[in-house]
Amino acid sequence: MIRSLGYFWELIKGSLITARHFVVNMWFHTLKLFGIKTKRRGAVTIQYPEQKKALASRHRSLQRLLKRQDLKPRCVSCMLCVTVCPSECIYVEAAEDPDPDIQKYPSTFIIDLSRCCFCGFCVEACPEDAIRMDTGKIDLAQSTRQDLIYDLDKLLK
Amino acid sequence: MESAGMKIVIDDRPVEVEEGTTILQAAKQAGLHIPHLCFHPAFVPEGSCRICLVEIEGLPKLELACATAVRDGMKISTQSPRVREARRGVLEFLMADHPLDCPICDKAGECKLQDYYQEYGLFEGAFKEAKEKRDKIIKIAEKLILDRERCILCTRCVRFLSEITKTQELGVFRRGIHSEISTYEDAPVQNNYSGNLVDLCPVGAITDTEFRFKTRTWFLAQSESICPLCSRGCNIYVDYHPGFTRIPGTAKIYRIRARENLEVNGRWICDFGRYGFPSLEKDRGDKILWKKEGRDTIMSWEKILSLLAEKLRPRHRTKNTSNIAVVANTWMTNEELFLFKKIFKDDLGLKKIFFADPRPGSGDGFLLQAERTPNARAAKEMGLELNPVNLDDLSKNTDVLIIFGPFLADLHDPSSLKNDLDKIRTKVLVSSHRSGLESYVDFILPASGILEKTGSLTNRDGLVQKFSAVCPPCGDSRPEWSVLIELAKELRINAGYYSRLTQPEVILKEMGKEIAFFR
Amino acid sequence: MDIVIVLIKIVLALVWFLVLTLYLTWLERKESAVIQDRVGANRASIFGIRILGLFQPFADAIKMIFKEDFVPAFSKKFLHTLAPFLSFFFVAICITAMPFGNDIMVGGRTISLQIFDANVGLLFVLAMLSLGIYGILLSGWASNNRYSLLGGIRGAAQLISYEVALGLSLVGLIMVFPSLKLSEIVQSQGGLLFGFLPKWGVFLQPLGFIIFLFAALAETKRVPFDLPEGESEIIGFFTEYGGLKWGLFMMTDFMEIIIVSTLLTTLFFGGWQVPWLSADGFQFPWGGQWQMARWLVIIFQVLAFNIKVFFFCWLQILIRWTYPRFRYDQLMDMGWKLLVPLSLVNIVGTGLLLMVIK
Repeated sequence: MIRSLGYFWELIKGSLITARHFVVNMWFHTLKLFGIKTKRRGAVTIQYPEQKKALASRHRSLQRLLKRQDLKPRCVSCMLCVTVCPSECIYVEAAEDPDPDIQKYPSTFIIDLSRCCFCGFCVEACPEDAIRMDTGKIDLAQSTRQDLIYDLDKLLK
Repeated sequence: MESAGMKIVIDDRPVEVEEGTTILQAAKQAGLHIPHLCFHPAFVPEGSCRICLVEIEGLPKLELACATAVRDGMKISTQSPRVREARRGVLEFLMADHPLDCPICDKAGECKLQDYYQEYGLFEGAFKEAKEKRDKIIKIAEKLILDRERCILCTRCVRFLSEITKTQELGVFRRGIHSEISTYEDAPVQNNYSGNLVDLCPVGAITDTEFRFKTRTWFLAQSESICPLCSRGCNIYVDYHPGFTRIPGTAKIYRIRARENLEVNGRWICDFGRYGFPSLEKDRGDKILWKKEGRDTIMSWEKILSLLAEKLRPRHRTKNTSNIAVVANTWMTNEELFLFKKIFKDDLGLKKIFFADPRPGSGDGFLLQAERTPNARAAKEMGLELNPVNLDDLSKNTDVLIIFGPFLADLHDPSSLKNDLDKIRTKVLVSSHRSGLESYVDFILPASGILEKTGSLTNRDGLVQKFSAVCPPCGDSRPEWSVLIELAKELRINAGYYSRLTQPEVILKEMGKEIAFFR
Repeated sequence: MDIVIVLIKIVLALVWFLVLTLYLTWLERKESAVIQDRVGANRASIFGIRILGLFQPFADAIKMIFKEDFVPAFSKKFLHTLAPFLSFFFVAICITAMPFGNDIMVGGRTISLQIFDANVGLLFVLAMLSLGIYGILLSGWASNNRYSLLGGIRGAAQLISYEVALGLSLVGLIMVFPSLKLSEIVQSQGGLLFGFLPKWGVFLQPLGFIIFLFAALAETKRVPFDLPEGESEIIGFFTEYGGLKWGLFMMTDFMEIIIVSTLLTTLFFGGWQVPWLSADGFQFPWGGQWQMARWLVIIFQVLAFNIKVFFFCWLQILIRWTYPRFRYDQLMDMGWKLLVPLSLVNIVGTGLLLMVIK
């Protein structure tokens, strides 16, 4: 009986804690609603599209392809990224470049972002440092699947 | 053979080999691999790459495994620190002038130099100087490109052309560091076996335009098959890419390579077979069509086979099968020809059985045969007569015609073909390829290509070679053997017999029971 | 004329009820968020105007209306459709018995702010709440899903168990205010106890109040007692529902909260009674007086009723976001071994006390 009373007491304590959170937070929310600036905020939430956190320096965002000095893609289409890609989202078609120093260049380079898992393996595998994931673009949602297929032109931009 | 019994020990493994065997071959018998680049079992050893050095007890220097014959009681070690060190040195010298453009090299993944570097090298290059620049794109044949930077001068190509084809189009020119492989006065390599140079080259110095830059070797699934393009029945590897999930048309066969079978084709295949494979992928029919009153209707196998069976069954019941004609071909496998014979000749008792095969070409006296069909021998052994199609006989009093294969279109000119076929009421085409015959017939049943089915072929010398499917069937197509079995089931002839034959292996076993040749 | 007045009352009560339900969904999101130091739904907007996400219920409603109306294969389509409507109906009808305020005089006509003042109002409400079980059982059974069926059976078992305690906990109250008529119960809570304490049910029946609170919470099938549904872990009776039908179940949940709040208010917290407010103004126990017009008093009373109901809605949501779920055996133990005996004790004690006083 005593134990169940203790249990009852803990129930009340618990609801007092949540009630305290409610009252305190609501107080700051109300102050904010009336435009009063306070040091403490009512919530810890970051309101994403308006408020943005700085990305970490190693954050992996949308891929890009780098260019040579003459604006050709640096990629030699060795397909190592295709090989290493765990979600099989990269497709490369090679073609013969007349320049014997380049020889092989990608005529098609497709990243299917709807499959991409942003693991960054392609960046690590690239022997030419031709692909990087440092654009800082993370709002990549599109309304059609087709828009998520990034081809050479889009990636070189 | 009484001189056999050279007892030697390689890496603590005792082996007994014949006299005159080289150390490398003896090691192979012992199940050891000694690295080699210039050595090829088909040629006289040259000993130019020097990576096969082994240590022989009692000899002060390391010896070439590829060119040294064993002597009784030899004690050889292939993995001693001295040997490994020597191999490392050899590799370092080879690499000093090798461009290391593996990322764009088509050989990468199956390159001997890469493999040996992984096993014995793994050094930091000591040569800090810039690599020597050489010509990278030299067209030495219609389909071959030579890259002199990658070449390690093993001269396998030179020896192949002088020893096997005896055409000697390539040679080593100049001396020392300036040595290079070249054609004589720009006369290109021109023979029917030039494609083998690509397989032979241990590095990526010779590549062919058909495969160059198309894909990387490690994406390819290597399957064993038989070349169907002539009656030689060369053993081949078919390298198939299963394709990227989201990109249509990426699942395809990228190349054909020779598979060693000393009884049939040695280690080579001809260019006709090697580069003929794209034609096997082109113009594929993949839909089951019924041209109902001029309109194409896509059908299911069950429906179209029961429709066909309805047309054939009454004639079979009344034993009135004289107005049915069939055209077969010898691209069909043993099993298919057997079923064909069983159903049409034995069960239905047809008289009008014709064969439409590709026109013979010319043989080249080595591997390529004039007979451009893989299985004519089997048809003969089964007792089928290879009657060529006579359009008059074919269309005379014929009500139902079943054509297997697309070759009829090549043999007769379209107008007479159309004339004669128009006389027949029901025409069925079972074909893997589109050939123009489609416009004359009413029912089109897509058959699987020869690389998509499992079975066996009999080559001109009577060797029955089994092979299995390389890739999944194209579209709705099915192999002819399964079409024939399903048809037989629909016709309800000998139902128990045909329902037992579920797999090509089972059919082959059944054939063995009935025809002594296939036992 | 009477019919018109009744119709107007029905419409007003329903509007009040449904709007409160709608905004209870918003309150639930917002309150849970604030308790957990979050912001909560604040994105729904009309022309960019957000006002704390007050449009969220409309967005939810639009979403639910346009979702696919899915009926699983081999289920009883009619019963499957009927179930959410049954649940909804039996809760919605409870509002008819609730007194929102004292009688008002309009044009010489006395209008009670209550749709249906039955003699057995309390029993009517309890009966309707129990009939809600059919919705749950039907939905579980008609879904042709074993898990849903189990959920429905769990729900029925729980509700029936707690109905016993719910009913028994009110017996003491009925003995104190000797009536089943809700308007009379409220009326009789108007007096004073010991000269200063409002004569509310909670002061006369503290044990009854606690038992009723627990049992009523169990009746709403929400978190400490959400065994029938258990959205994240155990599969509940409306698993096979989507779109508007699911929305009806959800609304039923929130409407049950409101009904329980109105019941708590009416039975234990004086309904529309404001402490020390009589028909012509405040009369404070320390002797102060505050004359007020009749209409002002009515407004005060209706407001008091609403505020009390809101408070209990808030409290129930607070409870839902505070406690973890019971285990099923604990749930049954609490119902049968704690609440039922306690309510019996309460009845006997109340009886004895009443005998002593008389």
